[in-house]
Amino acid sequence: MAISGWFKVSGRSVFSLAFSFHRITGIILLIYLCMHLAYLTSLTDKTGQTYEGLIGVTVTPAFLAFDALLVLCGVYHGINGLRVIIHEFGLAYEYRKAILAISIVLILAVWLYASYVMYKLVVGG
Amino acid sequence: MDVEFRIKRFDGSKSYWQSFKVPVRKGMTVLEGLYYIKENIDPSLAFRASCRMGICGSCAIKINNKPRLACETQIMHLGGKTVTLEPLDNFKVLKDLITDFEGFFAKHEFVRPYLIRDDVDYNEPVELIQTPKELEAYYIFSLCIKCGACYSVCPAAATRDDYLGPAAITAAYRFCADSRDRGKEIRMDLVSSDNGVWRCHFAAECSEVCPKKIEPAKAIQKMRLASTFYMLKNIFR
Repeated sequence: MAISGWFKVSGRSVFSLAFSFHRITGIILLIYLCMHLAYLTSLTDKTGQTYEGLIGVTVTPAFLAFDALLVLCGVYHGINGLRVIIHEFGLAYEYRKAILAISIVLILAVWLYASYVMYKLVVGG
Repeated sequence: MDVEFRIKRFDGSKSYWQSFKVPVRKGMTVLEGLYYIKENIDPSLAFRASCRMGICGSCAIKINNKPRLACETQIMHLGGKTVTLEPLDNFKVLKDLITDFEGFFAKHEFVRPYLIRDDVDYNEPVELIQTPKELEAYYIFSLCIKCGACYSVCPAAATRDDYLGPAAITAAYRFCADSRDRGKEIRMDLVSSDNGVWRCHFAAECSEVCPKKIEPAKAIQKMRLASTFYMLKNIFR
Protein backbone atom coordinates (compact mmCIF):
# COMPACT_ATOMS: atom_id res chain seq x y z
CA MET A 1 0.00 0.00 0.00
CA ALA A 2 3.05 2.23 0.51
CA ILE A 3 2.65 5.88 1.56
CA SER A 4 -1.03 5.94 0.55
CA GLY A 5 -1.50 3.79 3.69
CA TRP A 6 -0.86 6.92 5.78
CA PHE A 7 -3.90 8.60 4.34
CA LYS A 8 -6.39 5.74 4.32
CA VAL A 9 -9.37 6.90 6.37
CA SER A 10 -12.30 5.03 4.81
CA GLY A 11 -13.77 2.64 7.38
CA ARG A 12 -11.26 3.80 9.98
CA SER A 13 -11.77 5.46 13.34
CA VAL A 14 -11.20 9.09 14.31
CA PHE A 15 -7.68 8.13 15.46
CA SER A 16 -6.65 7.28 11.90
CA LEU A 17 -8.10 10.61 10.80
CA ALA A 18 -6.01 12.36 13.48
CA PHE A 19 -2.93 10.45 12.32
CA SER A 20 -3.52 11.33 8.65
CA PHE A 21 -3.97 15.03 9.47
CA HIS A 22 -0.80 14.89 11.55
CA ARG A 23 1.12 13.58 8.53
CA ILE A 24 -0.44 16.08 6.11
CA THR A 25 0.21 19.06 8.41
CA GLY A 26 3.76 17.81 9.02
CA ILE A 27 4.45 17.66 5.29
CA ILE A 28 2.95 21.15 4.74
CA LEU A 29 5.02 22.60 7.61
CA LEU A 30 8.18 20.94 6.27
CA ILE A 31 7.62 22.37 2.78
CA TYR A 32 6.88 25.81 4.27
CA LEU A 33 9.99 25.66 6.47
CA CYS A 34 12.20 24.72 3.50
CA MET A 35 10.75 27.55 1.39
CA HIS A 36 11.08 29.99 4.31
CA LEU A 37 14.72 29.10 5.01
CA ALA A 38 15.64 28.95 1.33
CA TYR A 39 14.23 32.43 0.79
CA LEU A 40 15.81 33.98 3.89
CA THR A 41 19.26 32.50 3.22
CA SER A 42 19.13 33.66 -0.42
CA LEU A 43 18.70 37.33 0.59
CA THR A 44 21.83 39.27 -0.24
CA ASP A 45 20.28 42.70 -0.09
CA LYS A 46 21.74 44.30 3.08
CA THR A 47 19.29 47.21 3.02
CA GLY A 48 16.35 44.91 3.83
CA GLN A 49 14.28 46.27 0.95
CA THR A 50 13.78 42.86 -0.70
CA TYR A 51 12.55 41.40 2.59
CA GLU A 52 10.25 44.34 3.23
CA GLY A 53 8.94 44.01 -0.31
CA LEU A 54 7.92 40.38 0.28
CA ILE A 55 6.35 41.23 3.64
CA GLY A 56 4.44 44.01 1.89
CA VAL A 57 2.92 41.41 -0.44
CA THR A 58 2.34 38.56 2.04
CA VAL A 59 1.12 40.47 5.10
CA THR A 60 -2.05 41.61 3.38
CA PRO A 61 -5.76 40.75 3.69
CA ALA A 62 -5.47 38.67 0.49
CA PHE A 63 -2.92 36.37 2.17
CA LEU A 64 -4.78 36.19 5.49
CA ALA A 65 -6.59 32.95 4.61
CA PHE A 66 -3.28 31.24 3.75
CA ASP A 67 -1.73 32.50 6.98
CA ALA A 68 -4.71 31.20 8.96
CA LEU A 69 -4.39 27.78 7.31
CA LEU A 70 -0.66 27.73 8.02
CA VAL A 71 -1.32 28.55 11.68
CA LEU A 72 -3.93 25.77 11.76
CA CYS A 73 -1.29 23.34 10.49
CA GLY A 74 1.18 24.47 13.17
CA VAL A 75 -1.37 24.44 16.01
CA TYR A 76 -2.79 21.05 14.99
CA HIS A 77 0.64 19.47 14.58
CA GLY A 78 1.84 20.86 17.90
CA ILE A 79 -1.16 20.02 20.09
CA ASN A 80 -1.82 16.64 18.45
CA GLY A 81 1.89 15.90 18.77
CA LEU A 82 1.71 16.55 22.52
CA ARG A 83 -1.29 14.21 22.73
CA VAL A 84 0.65 11.46 20.96
CA ILE A 85 3.70 12.03 23.20
CA ILE A 86 1.55 11.63 26.34
CA HIS A 87 0.31 8.25 25.08
CA GLU A 88 3.76 7.22 23.89
CA PHE A 89 4.92 7.51 27.48
CA GLY A 90 2.29 4.88 28.23
CA LEU A 91 0.12 7.44 30.03
CA ALA A 92 -3.65 7.97 30.01
CA TYR A 93 -4.17 5.39 27.29
CA GLU A 94 -7.63 4.46 28.61
CA TYR A 95 -8.73 8.08 28.23
CA ARG A 96 -7.50 8.42 24.66
CA LYS A 97 -10.91 9.29 23.21
CA ALA A 98 -11.52 12.04 25.78
CA ILE A 99 -7.97 13.38 25.31
CA LEU A 100 -8.45 13.48 21.54
CA ALA A 101 -11.71 15.39 21.99
CA ILE A 102 -10.03 17.87 24.37
CA SER A 103 -7.14 18.28 21.90
CA ILE A 104 -9.54 19.12 19.07
CA VAL A 105 -11.34 21.72 21.21
CA LEU A 106 -7.96 23.21 22.20
CA ILE A 107 -6.78 23.28 18.58
CA LEU A 108 -9.91 25.10 17.43
CA ALA A 109 -9.74 27.59 20.33
CA VAL A 110 -6.05 28.43 19.78
CA TRP A 111 -6.47 28.59 16.02
CA LEU A 112 -9.51 30.89 16.16
CA TYR A 113 -7.80 33.19 18.66
CA ALA A 114 -4.59 33.31 16.59
CA SER A 115 -6.62 34.01 13.44
CA TYR A 116 -8.43 36.84 15.23
CA VAL A 117 -5.12 38.36 16.35
CA MET A 118 -3.75 38.14 12.79
CA TYR A 119 -6.94 39.67 11.41
CA LYS A 120 -6.62 42.61 13.81
CA LEU A 121 -2.96 43.02 12.86
CA VAL A 122 -3.47 42.92 9.11
CA VAL A 123 -6.91 44.44 8.61
CA GLY A 124 -7.00 46.56 11.76
CA GLY A 125 -10.12 47.60 13.60
CA MET B 1 -34.46 -11.56 2.67
CA ASP B 2 -31.76 -11.51 -0.02
CA VAL B 3 -28.52 -9.64 0.58
CA GLU B 4 -25.96 -8.88 -2.12
CA PHE B 5 -22.43 -10.07 -1.30
CA ARG B 6 -19.93 -7.92 -3.24
CA ILE B 7 -16.64 -9.77 -3.09
CA LYS B 8 -13.26 -8.56 -4.26
CA ARG B 9 -11.74 -11.58 -5.94
CA PHE B 10 -8.21 -12.32 -7.12
CA ASP B 11 -7.31 -15.12 -9.52
CA GLY B 12 -3.54 -14.90 -9.22
CA SER B 13 -3.05 -12.23 -11.86
CA LYS B 14 -5.93 -9.75 -11.68
CA SER B 15 -8.48 -8.65 -9.10
CA TYR B 16 -12.13 -7.99 -9.89
CA TRP B 17 -15.47 -7.54 -8.12
CA GLN B 18 -18.19 -10.16 -8.23
CA SER B 19 -21.68 -10.06 -6.69
CA PHE B 20 -23.75 -12.92 -5.30
CA LYS B 21 -27.31 -13.00 -3.96
CA VAL B 22 -27.46 -14.71 -0.57
CA PRO B 23 -30.72 -15.59 1.21
CA VAL B 24 -30.25 -14.38 4.77
CA ARG B 25 -32.00 -15.50 7.93
CA LYS B 26 -31.82 -14.00 11.41
CA GLY B 27 -28.51 -14.75 13.16
CA MET B 28 -26.70 -15.77 9.96
CA THR B 29 -23.04 -14.78 9.90
CA VAL B 30 -20.93 -13.49 7.01
CA LEU B 31 -18.98 -16.75 7.14
CA GLU B 32 -22.20 -18.75 6.69
CA GLY B 33 -22.99 -16.52 3.72
CA LEU B 34 -19.59 -17.31 2.22
CA TYR B 35 -20.19 -21.04 2.72
CA TYR B 36 -23.62 -20.65 1.05
CA ILE B 37 -21.95 -19.12 -2.02
CA LYS B 38 -19.24 -21.79 -2.11
CA GLU B 39 -21.70 -24.69 -1.74
CA ASN B 40 -24.51 -23.38 -3.96
CA ILE B 41 -23.24 -20.79 -6.45
CA ASP B 42 -19.48 -20.73 -7.01
CA PRO B 43 -17.26 -23.50 -5.58
CA SER B 44 -14.14 -21.64 -6.76
CA LEU B 45 -14.60 -18.90 -4.13
CA ALA B 46 -11.62 -19.05 -1.76
CA PHE B 47 -11.67 -17.96 1.87
CA ARG B 48 -10.02 -19.11 5.08
CA ALA B 49 -12.01 -20.40 8.07
CA SER B 50 -11.66 -22.99 10.75
CA CYS B 51 -13.26 -22.85 14.20
CA ARG B 52 -16.36 -20.76 13.25
CA MET B 53 -16.47 -19.43 16.83
CA GLY B 54 -14.00 -16.54 17.04
CA ILE B 55 -11.10 -18.49 18.47
CA CYS B 56 -8.78 -19.40 15.59
CA GLY B 57 -8.61 -15.97 13.90
CA SER B 58 -8.58 -17.53 10.41
CA CYS B 59 -11.60 -15.76 8.94
CA ALA B 60 -10.56 -12.11 9.44
CA ILE B 61 -11.47 -10.16 6.30
CA LYS B 62 -12.55 -6.63 5.48
CA ILE B 63 -16.32 -6.46 5.87
CA ASN B 64 -17.83 -3.16 4.75
CA ASN B 65 -14.36 -1.59 4.80
CA LYS B 66 -13.50 -2.68 8.34
CA PRO B 67 -11.52 -5.78 9.37
CA ARG B 68 -13.71 -8.19 11.32
CA LEU B 69 -14.07 -11.90 11.96
CA ALA B 70 -16.52 -13.30 9.38
CA CYS B 71 -17.69 -15.93 11.88
CA GLU B 72 -18.63 -13.34 14.50
CA THR B 73 -20.25 -10.78 12.21
CA GLN B 74 -23.97 -11.21 11.72
CA ILE B 75 -25.19 -10.06 8.32
CA MET B 76 -28.32 -8.39 9.64
CA HIS B 77 -26.31 -6.41 12.20
CA LEU B 78 -24.45 -4.75 9.34
CA GLY B 79 -27.66 -3.19 8.01
CA GLY B 80 -28.22 -2.45 4.36
CA LYS B 81 -28.83 -4.72 1.39
CA THR B 82 -25.19 -5.05 0.36
CA VAL B 83 -22.19 -6.52 2.16
CA THR B 84 -18.76 -5.69 0.76
CA LEU B 85 -16.00 -8.21 1.38
CA GLU B 86 -12.30 -7.72 0.68
CA PRO B 87 -9.06 -9.38 1.75
CA LEU B 88 -7.13 -7.71 4.59
CA ASP B 89 -4.89 -4.77 3.71
CA ASN B 90 -1.10 -4.89 4.28
CA PHE B 91 -0.99 -8.59 3.35
CA LYS B 92 -0.20 -10.17 0.00
CA VAL B 93 -3.38 -11.62 -1.50
CA LEU B 94 -3.03 -15.25 -2.56
CA LYS B 95 -6.54 -15.92 -3.86
CA ASP B 96 -9.86 -14.12 -3.38
CA LEU B 97 -10.12 -13.46 0.38
CA ILE B 98 -7.06 -15.49 1.35
CA THR B 99 -3.93 -13.56 2.31
CA ASP B 100 -0.38 -14.71 2.98
CA PHE B 101 0.28 -14.88 6.73
CA GLU B 102 3.76 -16.38 6.54
CA GLY B 103 5.57 -13.10 7.28
CA PHE B 104 3.07 -12.22 10.00
CA PHE B 105 3.67 -15.50 11.83
CA ALA B 106 7.44 -15.22 11.30
CA LYS B 107 7.37 -11.85 13.09
CA HIS B 108 5.38 -13.38 15.89
CA GLU B 109 7.91 -16.18 16.22
CA PHE B 110 10.77 -13.66 16.11
CA VAL B 111 9.80 -12.05 19.45
CA ARG B 112 10.04 -15.41 21.28
CA PRO B 113 6.38 -15.69 22.33
CA TYR B 114 6.91 -18.23 25.08
CA LEU B 115 8.21 -18.33 28.65
CA ILE B 116 11.99 -18.16 28.78
CA ARG B 117 13.60 -19.65 31.87
CA ASP B 118 16.95 -21.24 32.57
CA ASP B 119 15.79 -23.42 35.46
CA VAL B 120 13.39 -25.72 33.61
CA ASP B 121 13.78 -29.32 34.64
CA TYR B 122 11.44 -31.64 32.78
CA ASN B 123 12.32 -34.57 35.06
CA GLU B 124 11.31 -32.67 38.18
CA PRO B 125 8.88 -30.00 37.03
CA VAL B 126 8.08 -27.24 39.51
CA GLU B 127 4.79 -25.36 39.53
CA LEU B 128 5.30 -21.65 38.91
CA ILE B 129 3.07 -19.81 41.35
CA GLN B 130 1.42 -16.58 40.26
CA THR B 131 -0.83 -14.19 42.17
CA PRO B 132 -4.08 -12.90 40.60
CA LYS B 133 -2.46 -9.45 40.35
CA GLU B 134 0.50 -10.87 38.44
CA LEU B 135 -1.91 -12.65 36.09
CA GLU B 136 -3.86 -9.44 35.57
CA ALA B 137 -0.70 -7.67 34.34
CA TYR B 138 -0.67 -9.64 31.09
CA TYR B 139 -3.95 -11.60 30.88
CA ILE B 140 -5.80 -9.35 28.41
CA PHE B 141 -2.84 -9.48 26.00
CA SER B 142 -2.79 -13.28 26.09
CA LEU B 143 -6.19 -13.35 24.37
CA CYS B 144 -4.71 -12.50 20.95
CA ILE B 145 -5.92 -14.93 18.26
CA LYS B 146 -3.43 -13.74 15.59
CA CYS B 147 -6.19 -12.80 13.14
CA GLY B 148 -4.08 -10.01 11.61
CA ALA B 149 -6.82 -7.35 11.86
CA CYS B 150 -4.47 -5.02 13.78
CA TYR B 151 -1.65 -5.43 11.27
CA SER B 152 -4.00 -4.78 8.32
CA VAL B 153 -4.96 -1.28 9.53
CA CYS B 154 -1.54 -0.21 10.82
CA PRO B 155 -0.19 2.74 8.78
CA ALA B 156 3.34 1.94 9.97
CA ALA B 157 3.03 -1.61 8.59
CA ALA B 158 1.61 -0.21 5.35
CA THR B 159 4.85 1.61 4.61
CA ARG B 160 7.41 -0.92 5.85
CA ASP B 161 7.19 -4.66 5.34
CA ASP B 162 9.82 -5.36 8.00
CA TYR B 163 7.88 -3.63 10.81
CA LEU B 164 7.12 -6.19 13.50
CA GLY B 165 3.56 -4.93 13.80
CA PRO B 166 1.07 -4.65 16.66
CA ALA B 167 0.39 -8.37 17.17
CA ALA B 168 4.05 -9.40 17.49
CA ILE B 169 4.94 -6.52 19.84
CA THR B 170 1.85 -7.28 21.94
CA ALA B 171 3.00 -10.89 22.19
CA ALA B 172 6.44 -9.67 23.28
CA TYR B 173 4.85 -7.47 25.96
CA ARG B 174 2.56 -10.26 27.10
CA PHE B 175 5.57 -12.43 27.98
CA CYS B 176 7.72 -9.59 29.32
CA ALA B 177 4.88 -8.70 31.73
CA ASP B 178 4.58 -12.30 32.89
CA SER B 179 6.12 -12.74 36.36
CA ARG B 180 7.25 -16.28 35.44
CA ASP B 181 9.32 -15.13 32.48
CA ARG B 182 13.07 -14.42 32.58
CA GLY B 183 13.56 -13.40 28.95
CA LYS B 184 12.77 -9.69 29.08
CA GLU B 185 16.28 -8.60 28.08
CA ILE B 186 16.31 -10.97 25.09
CA ARG B 187 12.98 -9.60 23.84
CA MET B 188 14.00 -6.00 24.54
CA ASP B 189 16.94 -6.44 22.17
CA LEU B 190 14.55 -7.76 19.53
CA VAL B 191 11.92 -5.03 19.72
CA SER B 192 14.08 -1.96 20.55
CA SER B 193 14.73 -1.05 16.95
CA ASP B 194 13.45 1.16 14.14
CA ASN B 195 11.38 -1.73 12.82
CA GLY B 196 10.20 -2.57 16.33
CA VAL B 197 8.54 -0.38 18.94
CA TRP B 198 10.03 2.83 17.50
CA ARG B 199 8.24 2.33 14.21
CA CYS B 200 4.80 2.79 15.81
CA HIS B 201 3.26 6.24 15.16
CA PHE B 202 0.38 5.73 17.54
CA ALA B 203 -2.51 5.85 15.11
CA ALA B 204 -4.17 3.46 17.65
CA GLU B 205 -6.29 1.93 14.89
CA CYS B 206 -5.08 -1.53 15.91
CA SER B 207 -6.94 -1.19 19.22
CA GLU B 208 -10.06 0.04 17.45
CA VAL B 209 -10.39 -3.02 15.18
CA CYS B 210 -9.16 -5.79 17.50
CA PRO B 211 -12.04 -8.32 17.70
CA LYS B 212 -10.84 -9.42 21.15
CA LYS B 213 -10.49 -5.84 22.49
CA ILE B 214 -6.88 -6.52 23.44
CA GLU B 215 -5.61 -2.95 22.97
CA PRO B 216 -2.39 -3.70 21.05
CA ALA B 217 -1.57 0.03 20.92
CA LYS B 218 -1.42 0.08 24.72
CA ALA B 219 0.97 -2.88 24.78
CA ILE B 220 3.21 -1.18 22.21
CA GLN B 221 3.36 2.07 24.22
CA LYS B 222 4.16 0.16 27.41
CA MET B 223 6.82 -1.79 25.54
CA ARG B 224 8.20 1.47 24.13
CA LEU B 225 8.50 2.98 27.61
CA ALA B 226 10.26 -0.16 28.83
CA SER B 227 12.50 0.00 25.76
CA THR B 228 13.43 3.63 26.57
CA PHE B 229 14.66 2.65 30.05
CA TYR B 230 16.35 -0.44 28.69
CA MET B 231 18.25 1.56 26.04
CA LEU B 232 19.21 4.27 28.57
CA LYS B 233 20.44 1.61 30.97
CA ASN B 234 22.56 0.09 28.20
CA ILE B 235 24.27 3.43 27.55
CA PHE B 236 25.54 3.63 31.15
CA ARG B 237 26.45 -0.02 31.40
